[in-house]
Amino acid sequence: MELIVALGLIAFKVALLIAILLLLPLPLTWLERKIAGRMQQRMGPMRVGWHGLLQPVADGIKLLTKEDHIPAEADRFLFKLAPILALTPPFVVFVAIPFGETVSVLGAEITLYVSNMNVALLFVFAVIGLEVYGVIFGGWAANSKYAVLGSLRTCAQMISYEIPMGFAVIGVVMLAQSMSLLEIVRAQADVWNVVYQPVGFFVFFVAGLAEAQRIPFDLAEAEGDLGAGFHTEYSGIRFAFFMVSEYAIVLLVSVLVVILFFGGWNGILVPLPPLLWFLLKVAFFVYLFIWFRFTFPRYRYDQLMAIGWKVLLPLSMANIIITGVALGAVAAP
Amino acid sequence: MSLARDRVGTWIGWAFFADLASALALTFGYMFSRSVTMQYPDKEKWLPYPRYRGHHFLTRDDEGEIKCVACELCARICPCDCIEVIPYEDDKGSRHPAKFEIDMARCLFCGLCEDACPADAIALGQQYEFSSFSSRDLVVGRDDLLGKPGKARTGGGVVAARLNTEQDVLVETSERRGYNWWRNIRRT
Ligand code: SF4
Ligand code: SF4
Repeated sequence: MELIVALGLIAFKVALLIAILLLLPLPLTWLERKIAGRMQQRMGPMRVGWHGLLQPVADGIKLLTKEDHIPAEADRFLFKLAPILALTPPFVVFVAIPFGETVSVLGAEITLYVSNMNVALLFVFAVIGLEVYGVIFGGWAANSKYAVLGSLRTCAQMISYEIPMGFAVIGVVMLAQSMSLLEIVRAQADVWNVVYQPVGFFVFFVAGLAEAQRIPFDLAEAEGDLGAGFHTEYSGIRFAFFMVSEYAIVLLVSVLVVILFFGGWNGILVPLPPLLWFLLKVAFFVYLFIWFRFTFPRYRYDQLMAIGWKVLLPLSMANIIITGVALGAVAAP
Repeated sequence: MSLARDRVGTWIGWAFFADLASALALTFGYMFSRSVTMQYPDKEKWLPYPRYRGHHFLTRDDEGEIKCVACELCARICPCDCIEVIPYEDDKGSRHPAKFEIDMARCLFCGLCEDACPADAIALGQQYEFSSFSSRDLVVGRDDLLGKPGKARTGGGVVAARLNTEQDVLVETSERRGYNWWRNIRRT
């Protein structure tokens, strides 16, 4: 009986998570377009619903009813597989993400995470690494030069930025003495990691920008030179899959930054409910992503590689060494 | 010395992303500046300047007689060949157009007809909303041209308007003088 209840709870949480993640791009696209409009002295969508609030719904209906075109030269199997491959990893990662400790609903204590893995961080990085397959397959299967170039760029970029990203969190793991995201947040109850690990945060955030394919590192889909990059040939619902996965990754990177460096649901000064604190911080970083997008130009490809290998990688390594030495010094009697 | 100090300053600026920060501050400031969007046709509408060349109109003299003397100069000068005038002579012996048609689908709104007219009979007015689903509707006859609005007197502003789709699609407004649209533009 208890097992069934526990399983039902997990199933419910997973369903809720999937629903939230699938629906979140709707308000996010609206917000992105509104913020873009305001920054460019425009108004953004205004005509569908109050201040264009229903615009994403209209766009969704449009994408659903549009022709789903597969190019004649495309590899049909891979072409159909790629959007699903791109969509799955960001969703899977959220299984390991805690959103808070517990809430009591109807007297029962319910944990705000699906699972508390002791190697959650490793799991996150492993699964996020799979994201690159969707992009490669998508670009390759379409049999179009823009798509191939876009996916080649993406591969190189994702792989080179995953390394500094992985190194940047090692400092956090050393501080918390654990790879469990829950433990990492608990370790930040007094002081947030960003105080001890400013360099780690910087490297992680920049690499996160690159992982999420956002400006200034959005070379994979540079409209100016590649059409739309790896999803040039996609239309209709498959295109929507890529879009949803992109927003899910933006969200994921924001959530990870908050959990790893900004104390998760630990608040400061103002006593708000922990979940609210968490959401506020995540919202701030999502806003930061959008803000960056409409402020900065795009890096050139060689600059992108130079930043990844010559700046971020040495910085993250130095960060590990310095953290280790400092921890050793503190621990020494 | 100062060159070296400048260089050091530049490097310090780079290290702390001074340029990126100032860019972010700029876009953030813009986020709270006024929008320049003119909400046409839902809420606002542009009143053209008096010099604007819109839909043609024909004028009448003080006795209410049509001013045009059917000299066909406008038809001659028109680069698009879109005016057709057929004259007749009335009881008093003066010439007037029996037929005066402008094909708005071909007109390029150069205003040469207005310049050529010896009787100040034809001019280009302020109306600009006459799109249509059929190019046949764009051939406008004499009596329609007599009823078209004349030149704008004020103009050069944005007025509150309302989109009316009940019968035809109309953008209605009752204001005569709007606000100056340029005042909302932020230039820094
Ligand atoms: S505005 Fe120019 S093109 Fe149009 S009718 Fe007059 S002369 Fe012809
Ligand atoms: S509108 Fe003027 S130019 Fe044209 S036919 Fe009449 S009088 Fe002549």
